[in-house]
Order: sequence, then C-alpha cells, then structure tokens
Amino acid sequence: MKYNLRAIFDKGFTILTAASVVLMVLVLIAVLGPMISRGMSAVFFRSTVEFRRMQFDLHHRGDEATISDEIAQSKVHRDFVYSRIDEFKKGVDTDSFADRAKQIYRDFGDELKRNNVAGDELSRRRKVARKIRQDLEKAFRSVDRTEVLGILDGLDEYADDESIINTIADDFFVLSNEYREIARDFDFSRREEYAKSLEEVDVLVGKLFGPRPEEPLPAVPMDRYGATRCDLANELTDKILWKEEWVQQSPDQPMVKTKVSRVEDFAGTKLEAIFPYLEDNFDDLTVPNFTFYWQYFIDDSTSGHYFGGIGPEILGTLLLTALSMLFVFPLGVISAAYLVECASDNLPMRIIRMCINTLAGVPSIVFGLFGMAFFLLFLFPIFGAPSQKCILAASLTLAVLTLPVMIRASEEAIKSVPQTYIEASLGLGASRFRTFVKVTLPAAMPGILTGVILSLSRVAGETAPILFTGAVAFGPIPKSIFSPTRTLSYGIHDLATGDKIAMLVPHKQYGMVVTLIVLVICLNVVAIYLRAKIFRRLKGH
Amino acid sequence: MQKGKENMPTPALENQAQADHINSVVSLSEKKLSPAKQTDSNCECSVVKSENFSFYYGSKAGVKDISMEIYPCSVTAIIGPSGCGKSTFLRSINRINDLIPNTHTQGKLLVNDHNVYDKNTNLVNLRQQVGMVFQKPNPFPKSIFDNIAYGPKLQGIKSRSNLQQIVEESLKAAALWEEVKDDLKKSALALSGGQQQRLCIARALATKPNILLMDEPCSALDPIATGKIEDLIDKLQTDYTIVIVTHNMQQAARVSKRTAFFCLGELIEYDSTVKIFRNPGKKQTEDYVTGRFG
Repeated sequence: MKYNLRAIFDKGFTILTAASVVLMVLVLIAVLGPMISRGMSAVFFRSTVEFRRMQFDLHHRGDEATISDEIAQSKVHRDFVYSRIDEFKKGVDTDSFADRAKQIYRDFGDELKRNNVAGDELSRRRKVARKIRQDLEKAFRSVDRTEVLGILDGLDEYADDESIINTIADDFFVLSNEYREIARDFDFSRREEYAKSLEEVDVLVGKLFGPRPEEPLPAVPMDRYGATRCDLANELTDKILWKEEWVQQSPDQPMVKTKVSRVEDFAGTKLEAIFPYLEDNFDDLTVPNFTFYWQYFIDDSTSGHYFGGIGPEILGTLLLTALSMLFVFPLGVISAAYLVECASDNLPMRIIRMCINTLAGVPSIVFGLFGMAFFLLFLFPIFGAPSQKCILAASLTLAVLTLPVMIRASEEAIKSVPQTYIEASLGLGASRFRTFVKVTLPAAMPGILTGVILSLSRVAGETAPILFTGAVAFGPIPKSIFSPTRTLSYGIHDLATGDKIAMLVPHKQYGMVVTLIVLVICLNVVAIYLRAKIFRRLKGH
Repeated sequence: MQKGKENMPTPALENQAQADHINSVVSLSEKKLSPAKQTDSNCECSVVKSENFSFYYGSKAGVKDISMEIYPCSVTAIIGPSGCGKSTFLRSINRINDLIPNTHTQGKLLVNDHNVYDKNTNLVNLRQQVGMVFQKPNPFPKSIFDNIAYGPKLQGIKSRSNLQQIVEESLKAAALWEEVKDDLKKSALALSGGQQQRLCIARALATKPNILLMDEPCSALDPIATGKIEDLIDKLQTDYTIVIVTHNMQQAARVSKRTAFFCLGELIEYDSTVKIFRNPGKKQTEDYVTGRFG
C-alpha cells in the first residue's frame, strides 16, 4: 500500500513540475508572441512607393529607374483623384472665381488704355465689363442653381458685343462657361457642408499621397512623403472612406460613435467617383511591395522617429552596457576577494555585508537620483568636468546598481574554489596574492561570469538610473563619454509617453522593445557560451 | 603461539602469517636500503629536527612534545592510527598549517638548522625548499606544462627554454615523461589518478627542493599506481629527504629506512624500519604493527 502511494506521489510531482514548465512557456509565448510579431513589422513590412522614394532621397538606396517607373505608374492613377478633387474645389471655392473675374476686369481696363481708347467709348466699354463682372459675382455668390444658370444665360447677350469680342473680356465668358459646367451637378445650397468635408478629404489624401508633384517641398521631412507603410495607407484610406460620427441610435439611448460612409456626403457630385476608385485601385495608387528594412538597426531616426531606424539607440545601449560592465567587473571581483580572503568575521564586517545585500533591493529610481546627485553634481565639478548628462555618469550609476549582484556571485564563486588548489599553490611557495590571481581567480571564473550574465540583462534594460544621468530622447550620436546618448530603454519610455507622432508609429515602439529583448538574449548567449567554454576547460576537456 | 608480554628484543607475534609477511617485506627493503646508505656523500641534503615541538588547535594538542631527527637522503615513514597527529606534524614542517585559524605552537622545529616557526622565517623560501604532495592528487586546472612550470615561475625563471628544460627534468624524475611528452598542453585534469599524483610529485620537484613531504600519497590510488609511486619514491630517495605519512604498514615497511610511530599526538617510537617491524621496543608499537589495534 505504502509503496503504491509513494509511486503515485512521485508521478504527481513529475506531472506538476512538467505542467508548471509548460505553463511558463505558454505565458512567455503569450507575452512575447504579439510583441515579437509586431516588432518584426518594423523590419519586415509592405511598403509603398512613398517609402522607396524616401529611402532614395534620404539615403540613396534603391534603383533610380525602378523608382521613377513606380512613381510614374502611381501618378497616372493619382492624377485622376487629384483632378476630381480640383474640379470639385472650384465649386466650393468661389472666391477664386470672383478674384479671376476681378483680374479680367483690371486686365481689360489696361488693354483699353493700351489701345488708346478714351472718353465716352472708354467709359461705355468699362461699364459693360463692370456689368458682366457684377453679374458673375452675383452668380458666384448665389446658392440657387436656377438663379445661377439664369444669370449666366443672361450674360450671353453680351457675347456678341463688339467692344467685347476678341478682347481680354472674352475671358469673362470662359469663366462663365466653366462655372456653368460646375453648376450642372453641383448643389450650391450645400456649399458649406461640401467645403468642410472636402477639406477633410483633401488633407487625408495629402497625407496618403504626399504633397503634389507641382507643390513646393515642405520644410519638415515628415510632410514630404505620403504614407510609407501599407498598414498606414490602409488606415488613411479607411479614414477617407468612412468618418466617425456621434450618432443617436434612438431617442433615449446615449450617442454612439459609428462609422458613416463619406460617399453620401458627396452623393451626386463628380467627387463621388473617387471613393470607389480609391478602394479598388489601392495597389495602383500606392504600389505596395514587401520590404526587408534591415537598415532599421543602423539608420538614425528622422522627424522624431516618424521615419528611419533605431541605430543610435542600439549604439547607446551597447555603449552603456559595455562601459558599466567595465566598471563593475573589477570592482565586484576585488570586493568579493576582500570579503572572502581578508575580512574577519567581526561586527563591522557583518554590517558591511548586510549593507551590500540591502543595496541589491534599492529601487532603481533611487539609484538614478543618487547618480545625478553624487556623480553629476558632486563628483564631476571636483574634477572640473561639466555637470551635464553623459555616458560616463550613466555607466557609473548602472555599475553601482548592479554591484551587489556581482559581489554576491563572485563571493560564492571564490569560496567554492577547492581548498586543495590553494594548499598546493601555497605549498609551492606562492604568496597569497599570487595564489589568488593565478589559481583562485581562474578557477572561480565560471561563477564570476554568472554574475556578469545576471548583471548584463539588468543593465541593458534599465531606464530609471539613466533617466537623470545620461539618456536623452533626441540628439546626435555621442562624440565622447561626456556627451549624453539615446538608448533603447529610454526610447521606449519616450515613445510610450509621447505625443501624436509617437502614436502614428506604433511599429517603431514594438521594434524597439523586440530589439531590446533580442539584444539582451544575444548578450546572454555570448556570455553563457564563454562561461561554458571556460567551465569545460577547467574540468579538463 | 603465546602472546609476548615482555618488551624484550624478540616478542612472539600472534599471527605467524602476518609476521612472516612483514618479515619478508622488511628483508626486501633491507637489501634495497644498503646501497642507498653508501651514496650519502652524493646529495646536498639537509635535516629536519624537532625539539619538544607541540602544535595546538585552539586548546587541543595536535601533537605534543615531539623530538625527532630526520636524516638526509632517505625515506622516513610516519605511521600511526587515525587522529594521532601524523599529518599535523608533517604539515608543520612547511607551515602549510598556517591556513588553519586559531593555532599556536611550542618548541622548535628546525629545517636546515633554522626554526621554521621563527618570526622572520621566509615562508616562500621554506616552501620552495620543502616540497609537498597531498593525499588527493590536486593538479591545477591548467595544462600539464603550466602545472609544473608554476613553481619555477614563482622563483623568477621566465625564459621559455629554461622552463621547458625544468619541466622535462621534473617529469622524467617523476617517471611521467614518457606518458605525457607528446602533449604537454593537455589539461592536467584529463590524466588518470595515478598520473595526476605523479604530476603533483613532478610539480613539487620542479622547485628543486631538498625535502619532500608526502601526506598519504597513495591512499587514493589503485595498487598498480601505488606500486609505481613507491618505485618512484625509492628512486628519489637518493637525492631527496623524503618524509612519508602512511596508513599502510606494508608500504612503510617497503619504502622507508626509518619509521616513527605516533599515537594520540605523541611520538611513541622512532627507529629503523627493520627494528620497528621485527622487534618493536614499545608494546604500543608492537600492538599496532601486529594489527591488534589501529
């Protein structure tokens, strides 16, 4: 009986431990999976022709001929959209018509002067022109189509007037005909609504396609190109086709935000056609293509991370990690050596050991403040260095942060070196110092490297300690250890708490997170491999 | 057979078979020892001499009032039951006991006419003159070459050729050269137990000591390796003063010229091996060597 019970318990134990491992793996996948897949979209994604254009303009990447072809290809289709918008604009923006009428009137007056028409003839002709102009302006202001058409038809009387024919005043009739074309399917009474809706559509189309070829280049790089990624382009297209409105479903229910089709706004007008066109010809308009943007890890970011990569951030993280490990490794090993070899077990030493252990639990933000207060405000001025954020201060702060872990791991490692090695070394006439350096330390290396591995992960990802001591959100690549730097951890924080631009580029954020995770994993793998190699050598293989 | 009760020259031994065995071993070693005696004049030997030497762990005495002289160019064995202070005495000679906290000594322990427990003893010099081999083989986790070169490097020998020569000599002296000469860069931990112990002996020999202390060097080895090490000890005694602590009485009888019997921290008897095993002066000694206790 008892034996069976024990067997059952053993099996239960095995199953329980296996289940917990499986659970941990599942949780890991659930947490990392979405992050990794979204982060990958920063590097593997479908890009539009705008992206390739930007890459060519900024970094001279890509084949010029191909890009020009693509631009030309998309232009054909975009022009359709542009033309429709422009035409519609004319109906909405009657001020331009009025201005043109005024300009024609002035030009006519100048022409009359040039032809030396004077006296009564001059004033008669000018009166005619003025009448036409005033009628046109009245037509432009009117919101009643019948009235407009009536006025325009009435103007035709003057078409045959000899003082008008073959002069600049002919342009009045060109204007009139243009307006008549528009009036055919434009509902002037809805001019206000149209104006507002058109404005929105125009802005969105501008964001989607970028500035028109004939427009001057905007100053900010962000505005020079349209949607560079297909997902962004899809979003914008969606926004063009649908708008979000607060709609009251029924009288006693609260208002709900629903999507309302924008096509209805422009029903019956020439502009209506662009909506299905945008939907159907998306591929032709944006020329999407699958891109492997590996330069993401090298490029600098432009316009506050709207374009570009995270090269400087990666560099900053690596620099900080390397420098802080450089500080903490000797300090930790030497402290551990002292604690093991030389320190006696009296009260002051016990207090010191307790302090070291407590230090491991101090919150990292406290370290950040400490770093700023001690290194930047106190220590640097003593040495005459400027009291500003820099890599040096950040590395020192990170080193202090991770020191307890390093000391503890090194202490364990040094203690576990077999006493026989030390006896053998001393027996051959070596001093204690020599024994430590030549025998104990090499034998303790695997354990010390464990401390390094633990420290690496912590240091690479810490944000709070470098917040005040060395990290910035924007800035050039650091020139020396006395300049601040951007880092992955701080960049993630900055984008997460950032403004509108940050919200437009979620893939950047995920990309940074995934890069940080992968970076830490890589560092760990390298350190673990080194440790395994040293361990094997110590064991005699 | 009757038990011999008197402490007289020829006590009767209870177990005749055992007695015969030891007898034969002692005769063998007798034959071997004679030639060694004649080469006294060849070696630059030195002497270990203890005068009323006591070693205390805290308040407990490890060894008490030991007075004995160890003669040059020979093997001296120290035998006795567990906890009798053999290792303590041995390790005092090169002061490796200093690693243990809370100890103090009384009396004198002279190595080459210099009291090792004197305040201004140069420990580095002492330990280079007095080599030590431990119970469990403890080569460093380095290559064979680096293990043996460790000692000479401490002495300041830096030249590569010098070191190679010393390594070769030491390995040959330890009868290990033929087995490892092809790959001196191999890790020392890859050798077998017996080879490792010979490596440790070679390592101790590399500093050209006069005295070699061996603390139960064969207790962790199989009989064949043990035999090889005993042959080695036999060969080495022409040039070195060897003090060997051993549990194995047959071994003591085989290799040593003189034997000291310790018991409970005191030196009971110290005489030539032949006498100790055939004709022990004290009853305790007799009881021990005949296997009645111990």
